[in-house]
Amino acid sequence: MLNILVLGLGQCGNRILDAMNREAFGRGGAFAKYYTRQKFPASVKTIAINTAINDLKGLVDTRAKDRLHVPHLHGVGANRTLGKRVFEDNKEIIMSEIDKRGTFDLIFIITSAAGGSGSSFAPLLVRELKETYTNAPVICIAVLPFREEGSIFLQNAAFCLKDLVEEKPAGVLLVDNQYLKKYAGDIKSAYDKINTTTARRLLFLIEALNSEMLMVTDLGDLKTVMNGGIGIGTMGFYEASKDSTIKSAILGSLKPSGLLFPTNVYKEGARAMLIIKGDKKYLDLDLITKTIEELSTEVGQVFKGVLIQKGRPRVLSLFTLNSVPELEKLYATAAEAIRFEKERQNQSKSQLDSAFSHIEDLEPIY
Amino acid sequence: MNSCRILIVAALLMLLFPMTVAGVGTTNVTIGVNGYIVLNNDIYIELLDVGSDMGWSAQVHFYSYQDSVGTKKTLYIGDIPTSYTSGSGMTTKVTLDSVFSNGASFVIESSKKLYVTDRHAGEVETESVTVPKLTITRTIDPNAAEIGQTVKVTLTIKNTGNGTATDIMLDEGTIAKTYKDGCPSTIDDIAAGATKRIEYDLKIGDDAQSGTREMPASVLNYKGESSDSYSTQSRSSVLTIIAETVLLPEMTISIDPIDYVVTCGDNVPMVVTITNVGNATSEKVYVKGDLPLGVRLKGGELEPVYESVKPDKSEEYEVTLVANEEGKHVVEMKVMWADEEATAVFEFWAEKSGLEKYYIYIIAAIPILLILLWIIKRRREYSY
Ligand SMILES: Nc1nc2c(ncn2[C@@H]2O[C@H](COP(=O)(O)OP(=O)(O)OP(=O)(O)O)[C@@H](O)[C@H]2O)c(=O)[nH]1
Ligand SMILES: [Mg+2]
Repeated sequence: MLNILVLGLGQCGNRILDAMNREAFGRGGAFAKYYTRQKFPASVKTIAINTAINDLKGLVDTRAKDRLHVPHLHGVGANRTLGKRVFEDNKEIIMSEIDKRGTFDLIFIITSAAGGSGSSFAPLLVRELKETYTNAPVICIAVLPFREEGSIFLQNAAFCLKDLVEEKPAGVLLVDNQYLKKYAGDIKSAYDKINTTTARRLLFLIEALNSEMLMVTDLGDLKTVMNGGIGIGTMGFYEASKDSTIKSAILGSLKPSGLLFPTNVYKEGARAMLIIKGDKKYLDLDLITKTIEELSTEVGQVFKGVLIQKGRPRVLSLFTLNSVPELEKLYATAAEAIRFEKERQNQSKSQLDSAFSHIEDLEPIY
Repeated sequence: MNSCRILIVAALLMLLFPMTVAGVGTTNVTIGVNGYIVLNNDIYIELLDVGSDMGWSAQVHFYSYQDSVGTKKTLYIGDIPTSYTSGSGMTTKVTLDSVFSNGASFVIESSKKLYVTDRHAGEVETESVTVPKLTITRTIDPNAAEIGQTVKVTLTIKNTGNGTATDIMLDEGTIAKTYKDGCPSTIDDIAAGATKRIEYDLKIGDDAQSGTREMPASVLNYKGESSDSYSTQSRSSVLTIIAETVLLPEMTISIDPIDYVVTCGDNVPMVVTITNVGNATSEKVYVKGDLPLGVRLKGGELEPVYESVKPDKSEEYEVTLVANEEGKHVVEMKVMWADEEATAVFEFWAEKSGLEKYYIYIIAAIPILLILLWIIKRRREYSY
């Protein structure tokens, strides 16, 4: 059994982690935690880490002892510089808390790239974890902000991703709030939906990695996939409808509608992993093999795993990309925002300076 | 007249007729009391009684054929002759010569030659005698007594005669199943005028019959100086024999109430007391206990046997019962002795044990509690 550590950083990371914990209770609804135990598909340890105690308090299905408060008032206010300092100050506490959970074969870090705490902690944590758990691949799930959330979030996302990639984790999987906004009308339910979707896909992946599969994928395959391209990727998912063939299900998992981040897999995909679960009667192994062979010509290396399980075929795709146009757009926007911000700041500064110049050489008279 | 010799002249029913009387016109006759003579077929001289009150005397009735009424005269010794003229004109002069205890002799004179033509009866003491006369009275004290008790009988014997009573034999009356102690059958001579008191104990036997019993008269047989036999008797007496209080053992049994309401499963002490309220010791006293269903004996001996229980003595023992079932229980205890028995009943209520009472709630509460604890635990586990 795989020992897996899942760390949720910042409000966003915490809540996706909480969603994973909730999913692990099965279909029990809000009261499941009162009468049943979590059933993770592997030995999963979760820790929610945050500087804002209120965010931790808002969690529902994560055990209290799995919530680690890194004391710094109520968050770092999206200030990544401050966040980095707070992490350095509390590194020992965080690492020892992780250490209590034993050793790991695989580590996930879930965070928003846009916030303060999570986005500043994540790269540093990658470094620390890589040092401590040399054999465990560290995969980051980075959530990109809504584009209209403001320049600071955009800047943060830009710098965070940069920092992350520089720390060379096993891979970065992108989840784009902006892209997934379509799920719901209001932000709150969009969050919930995005969190749940992300959580389910991670658990799906974990289950596959931990299981004896008909066609094998393992941690090594995962590493290889995550190593492909620029080391950044995302996930897709498809659940077959009644009459669809396994082929259409596999291809469905690569369709934009099922992705967590907008990309053209066929164009930009570097390496992929397809995990197929479903009732044996649906799983035509020849067809699966054939389909994947076809895919490989376009996407590059495609690993596959087949897991016999009740129900219709479900397919999770996980891949890395050679190029990320959407990211480029994001960086451009971020750079513009930074420049604009800088200009505004300078403007304000000179305005204030000229204002102050009026009273230069004057003393208040009482 | 100390030496008494009584001369009894036989009464002759018939004498030779005609009988020549010695001397012309004078004759001596002896007549017994209630006897009479007929002179010359005309005059009757009847002796009614003799007396000694105011000197010796004799009461005489004179009558004749033509004077059937006649006259009654009391003649005294030494008086002048008493004359009587019959209806036919014959005159006699009569002088009392001597008096005997039951007769008298007279000297009769007449102008005619006298013949005793008829004579009737006649125990005549020809001699003046001394006669004892005893009276006997009897008292019983007390005259009511219980069986087994002894009463005192007192006989008072009085000699009212003029002679000594001798050879006195006492024949004392008897009540069945009573026993005389110190009752003589012979009594010493009693001089004239003397009184003798005899006391003896009369024990009423255990088997005597109770009730009012008559004690027949005491009979005295005795003799006078002249060896005459006499007899007298007391009145019969009455002695009430009171039935003796019967001696019987009598047992009672009682159960001390301790708790009327008990709890199922708890010890129920029961103290049984048997008491001999009778007046005799009871041998072999058995106690029997009857426990109802749902009650069992936990400790002690429920049915002891006592070899003997003295009057007014008690035996007490304690047993411990346990009720298994709720409800009213009746324990019946019986004491048995000599074909008799007495019963005591002990009633109590057994309630469900505290636990049992709330059993269902506890059973129901346990899972609820567990669930609650679980929920609380989980809540705490997940609240931060
Ligand atoms: N998908 C998803 N995104 C979220 C959620 N909550 C916040 N975000 C996004 O995360 C970004 C803000 O980052 P947070 O995680 O709130 O910030 P943080 O890491 O807590 O850092 P500070 O609050 O600045 O200390 C924004 O882009 C939000 O849109 C969530 O529940 N789900
Ligand atoms: Mg926050």
